[in-house]
Amino acid sequence: MEHKSVLIIGGGIAGIQASLDLANRGFQVYLVEKSPSIGGRMAQLDKTFPTMDCSMCILAPKMIECGHHPNVKLLTYSEVKEVKGSVGNFKVKVLKKPRFVDESKCTGCGICSEKCPIKVPNEFDMNLGMRKTIYMPFLQAVPRVATIDKDNCLLFQKGVCEICQKFCQAGAVDFDQQPEEITLNVGAIIVATGFDMFNPEQIPPFGYKRYKDVITAMELERLLCASGPTGGQLVRPSDGKMPKSIAFIQCVGSRDRREWINNAYCSSICCKYAVKDAVLIKEHDSHAMITIFYIDMRAFGRGFQEFVNRAKAEYGINFTRSNPGEITEDPETKRLTIWFEDNVTRTVKSLTFDLVVLCTALVPRKDSAELAKTLGIETDNYRFFKSPDLISRPVDTTVPGIFACGYCLGPKTGDIPDSVTQASAAAARIAEVLAEVTKQ
Amino acid sequence: MDEAKVGAFPARARADFMHEVANTPRGRGVLLCIQCGRCTNSCPVARTTDEYNPRKLVETVILGLRKEVLLGNLPRYCLSCFTCLDRCPQGGDIGEVMFAIRNLAAKEGNVPEGIIVQAKNLFETGRVVTPTRMALIQRERYGLSKDISIGIDEAQKILKKTSFVELISKKV
Amino acid sequence: MKYAFFIGCLIPARELGYEISVRKIMPLFGVELVDMENVNCCAPFSIQSLDYASWLSLAARNLCIAEEMGLDVLTLCNDCYESLLMTNTLLKENKELREKVNSVLATVDKEFKGKIKVKHFIDVLYDDVGVENVKNAVKTPFHGLRVGVQPGCHLTKPKRLHFGERIGIKALDELVKATGVKSVDFERKEACCGGPMRGINDAVALQVAKQKLDGLKNAGVDCIVTVCPFCYLELDLGQLEIKRHLNVEYNIPVVHFAELLKIAMGMPLEDWEIRSHKIPLAKVLEKMKEAK
Ligand SMILES: Cc1cc2nc3c(=O)[nH]c(=O)nc-3n(C[C@H](O)[C@H](O)[C@H](O)COP(=O)(O)OP(=O)(O)OC[C@H]3O[C@@H](n4cnc5c(N)ncnc54)[C@H](O)[C@@H]3O)c2cc1C
Ligand code: SF4
Ligand code: SF4
Repeated sequence: MEHKSVLIIGGGIAGIQASLDLANRGFQVYLVEKSPSIGGRMAQLDKTFPTMDCSMCILAPKMIECGHHPNVKLLTYSEVKEVKGSVGNFKVKVLKKPRFVDESKCTGCGICSEKCPIKVPNEFDMNLGMRKTIYMPFLQAVPRVATIDKDNCLLFQKGVCEICQKFCQAGAVDFDQQPEEITLNVGAIIVATGFDMFNPEQIPPFGYKRYKDVITAMELERLLCASGPTGGQLVRPSDGKMPKSIAFIQCVGSRDRREWINNAYCSSICCKYAVKDAVLIKEHDSHAMITIFYIDMRAFGRGFQEFVNRAKAEYGINFTRSNPGEITEDPETKRLTIWFEDNVTRTVKSLTFDLVVLCTALVPRKDSAELAKTLGIETDNYRFFKSPDLISRPVDTTVPGIFACGYCLGPKTGDIPDSVTQASAAAARIAEVLAEVTKQ
Repeated sequence: MDEAKVGAFPARARADFMHEVANTPRGRGVLLCIQCGRCTNSCPVARTTDEYNPRKLVETVILGLRKEVLLGNLPRYCLSCFTCLDRCPQGGDIGEVMFAIRNLAAKEGNVPEGIIVQAKNLFETGRVVTPTRMALIQRERYGLSKDISIGIDEAQKILKKTSFVELISKKV
Repeated sequence: MKYAFFIGCLIPARELGYEISVRKIMPLFGVELVDMENVNCCAPFSIQSLDYASWLSLAARNLCIAEEMGLDVLTLCNDCYESLLMTNTLLKENKELREKVNSVLATVDKEFKGKIKVKHFIDVLYDDVGVENVKNAVKTPFHGLRVGVQPGCHLTKPKRLHFGERIGIKALDELVKATGVKSVDFERKEACCGGPMRGINDAVALQVAKQKLDGLKNAGVDCIVTVCPFCYLELDLGQLEIKRHLNVEYNIPVVHFAELLKIAMGMPLEDWEIRSHKIPLAKVLEKMKEAK
């Protein structure tokens, strides 16, 4: 009989799309997500190119569908610990971390978070906003279930509090919850663990973390987002004022062959998101002065070059072909100076900005090598997952029956439409391969 | 470098010049350059004077303008401060490439006077800076050994084995 | 601890104060300096501009002498340091190159074996002696003194040559702070002093030095602390030239780190040492006294 169960690791847009495709074909899908909610990076974005739609408006219905689908079993706040067997018959051990809230009882009302006395930086907001110790990472989280972050919880650290438990009407808070090991039997696996952002502290002359007003593009996405920590107001982290002049620096950690960085690849997406974000800022404030410092403007794909042309002609965004080497801060005004080579005169000049956005590379997840080992699949020299045949089997991995999609495969065109295409391709490959295995 | 304008250069351009530089010791980096300009805006000299622009100098090498590069004195403007070595995203090592270019320039007989003086000092005394008589007296007075032991003979033997002597005599 | 002491050309000829301070301090930390006999010039950047093989062979000859002594090399000058360190690294890593250089060295019966390390005086203080021990040896910490540290380029650049040993200029800052002073940040701290441009384009050289001095002046430092004889010259003597040619006066005293440490360890500078500084030290010495 055909094996009808599959495991999907990672609940970003790629993992969600693959889950829905397979679930709709009648497969039993187990979707394992490490964080408390599915959604991935797309949930953090404000608007998405190429259509400039609201990111969450497209994503949320898919997340909800995943959460309610009879054929999808969500295992959030969980990690894959062991994989044995082969295509048609994988035995998988999943560790479900205790979230100290009973998923079957929690109604997602949020009273616990409201009452919890401890505030910590919210990872979902790139630490620009705060959340409580018992929290849902964002409004549209799926599942709508609270999670206690043990490391910061007063009860776990100091032995007193229990406020959330007192206020929870549903009696869902359970401080005695234990880690749970779940054993699954699946016919095939899809890996869709996405990417991490390059940490620009590795390039000290940019002063990231030393200068408050040097931020990353992902942080900018949160600052532009209406549901973000500033309610969609673009402000300088140093003084909360609106920046009048903004610089974008491209290729921060991309195409960088220095030994201690070793990312020779183009992340393939930063030129596009930078132009998107620049246009978004202009739509917030048409007087903002924006300069994008780039090496090559790689706006490939349908409609993108035209988008760049419009950014120049209609929005008046400056494009300067120079790759700045350092940022300096005026200790009093906190304004940031960038040296660059003038396009026209070929001379070195400096300009001063209120805010500098580093368009950082997309890099493999920190634990990608570990996960690869668990799965027995190979990675390339950057630690992205490797396909054995990039041309004719681009979503396969080096182990039959294990597929991959989305950014964990490394830079392709790297955007959401591409991740969705790959997800559907991986789902189709599973259907094909499992039918094949049954025949034999 | 005005002659580098389109239309003026093809007759003199040497397509192999980039590889000549790349194949000279310390010159490899020239092949890695993507002309991003980070070396230029990081360079303390380029920030001070418009005469010098390391990215543009590499561009001139890539364009094959051998004479302009080797007979001019721009490669001497590099301080060897190695800021660009740490900053260049490609490992282009422009501060290193300058040594390859200068070595090639030396073969063409283009060496600044100051370096000839130092080199001659080195050949004759084993060191580039020689203490004045006053300094020697002071050394003794302050309890420092007067003669600092120098291996001139061996240094000379070595320099005779390399092209050193030939390079500095070309100029004289 | 014992080191083969490579003193170079410039220091014994022009900056005796640096040499004397090092010779006094290091034995107190249990570091014995054994003068290298029969060495030649390190082959600094100016000589490297002429010819690759001459550079490597001259530098390697010095390294062979240290190998024969069975000791690691200690240098005081950033230029000597980088030349010897680069040669040592290149020849250790690259067999083909090593063989080529050894064929030149054979004329003087020497062979580079790659058995020793090259260290800057600052490396030895940081790695072998340790910041804690330096702090303990300081008798009169100069609290309240604001200094601007000029690390010089080749103590830390390029990163790949120095990686792992000391990260950037942090190590030097820690050592300087061990004397009780405040090491203040200033614009262009990591930039070149401009010295290597001397003789090529003096006007540009002075401009580069000037940018650095502007940063130091804005940061309001009492003195500049150097660890390289070239930086020292450029910033000390250079101030006089900037005054003459550009009509800008800074009057910021410049001391070698070794001198600062020596004073802090309770050994004041002698008159002739004080006089050897072009920008008078009186002001900063006074402040040091007050700090006690
Ligand atoms: C600043 C920025 C702006 C962008 N703007 C746009 C845009 O406007 N339009 C566009 O099309 N694209 C845009 N993108 C690209 C887009 O974000 C990606 O294409 C997309 O998010 C990739 O989806 P994914 O599912 O592969 O990965 P992710 O979104 O990273 O999702 C991966 C999921 O896997 C989970 N996970 C990770 N490791 C494990 C593990 N070991 N076990 C279980 N779960 C795990 C993660 O928690 C996450 O939920 C932008 C990217 C950036 C950086
Ligand atoms: S920084 Fe490197 S890649 Fe960029 S222009 Fe300079 S040498 Fe070329
Ligand atoms: S090494 Fe030369 S080219 Fe590079 S930054 Fe320094 S002075 Fe400029």
